[in-house]
Amino acid sequence: MVKSIIQLEDVNKEYGRGKKTVAALRHINLDIDQGEFVAVVGPSGCGKSTLLHVMAGLEQPTSGRVLLDAVDVTLIGERDLPKLRAQKIGFVFQAFLLIEDLTAYENVEAVLWPSEEITKEKQEQMTLEVLREVDMLERRDHFPRQMSGGEQQRVAIARALVNRPPILFCDEPTGNLDSKIGETIMKYISDLAKSKGMTVVLVTHNESLTKFAQRVLNMKDGAIR
Amino acid sequence: MNLRVLFKSIKFAFRARRRVFTFIVIYAFLIVMVSRGLASPGEWLLWVFAAFVLATLYAILISQSRAKDIAILKCVSWTNADILLVLIGEVVLVSLTAFLIVFQVSVELLGLVAYFQPAFDVGLFTALQGLLAVPAGDLFVTLFVIVVLQLPGLFLAQRRAMLIAPMRALREE
Repeated sequence: MVKSIIQLEDVNKEYGRGKKTVAALRHINLDIDQGEFVAVVGPSGCGKSTLLHVMAGLEQPTSGRVLLDAVDVTLIGERDLPKLRAQKIGFVFQAFLLIEDLTAYENVEAVLWPSEEITKEKQEQMTLEVLREVDMLERRDHFPRQMSGGEQQRVAIARALVNRPPILFCDEPTGNLDSKIGETIMKYISDLAKSKGMTVVLVTHNESLTKFAQRVLNMKDGAIR
Repeated sequence: MNLRVLFKSIKFAFRARRRVFTFIVIYAFLIVMVSRGLASPGEWLLWVFAAFVLATLYAILISQSRAKDIAILKCVSWTNADILLVLIGEVVLVSLTAFLIVFQVSVELLGLVAYFQPAFDVGLFTALQGLLAVPAGDLFVTLFVIVVLQLPGLFLAQRRAMLIAPMRALREE
């Protein structure tokens, strides 16, 4: 039996107070299985990104429970969240979010630096391996400003995968890329996820990318339809 | 303390060349002035206070200019303790480099005066020595003072860095 790796139970998220309260998520109930590729689609402002941030523990829900691999994210303090992220989650963002002063290699390896359990040699090996997987080994000494958008996104994917997390969250990963490179990037993500049995949650407004997903969730006004 | 993060932070700090070089020069000047201040009873408080203000401002400046990087690092699972090492890395780099520059300049000037004095007029070197060179004892005391004065600034900077949410990186997209 396939087990659920992400579970949301009656999750609500509101911003603001009093009359200015805006409900970004309304009564979300969701189970995502291990190894499943789920796409969340919907118009801009429907709450897709908020859903992703809440799932990943980047934002706390106003009410409800979020379980990642049976761990309740809403009960974990700020101190322990980084550890959970390091063990369970990889992120790919629309704007790549690479550190400009670090090379491609360093941007990827930086995820592992705080880990005292992984030796320096092992960190180097893991970084080189994942850069090879995304075909960026040759460009490892380049800074983000010296790379194209597609290359930067591949480095960002390598960074998300370097600690071999079971869950990959992708927030509009092709949003800053032209459609051809976007397709290539999505194929990378899809193939890597399949080969490693990872769970992928993809948030996008681009419906053509849903072909990579096993399940498509449509969001509107903060709710899943 | 995770030394790997600290060493990487020093390397990372060096990439912000303009800011780091500027503050190395400022810190070198500060070390000379604080050393002189410590030697003269009437002035030491003024210079120690100036060093405190500058050290605090510098630590806050680092946390401010690295705010986006800090948010990204938090997104990829760095803890606040790891982030503190990023701040310490730059402060260590700047303070030690400034100290070594003042030390080296002091030794060089002393050597030049001693070497040329028997044969030539060394008025220029003597003037420079009076202006820039710092006696070894005063220099080490000053390094200690600067390190101690850095601590409140680092504490403040860490408080600011702690308040930077990972979401900030995403909002700046």
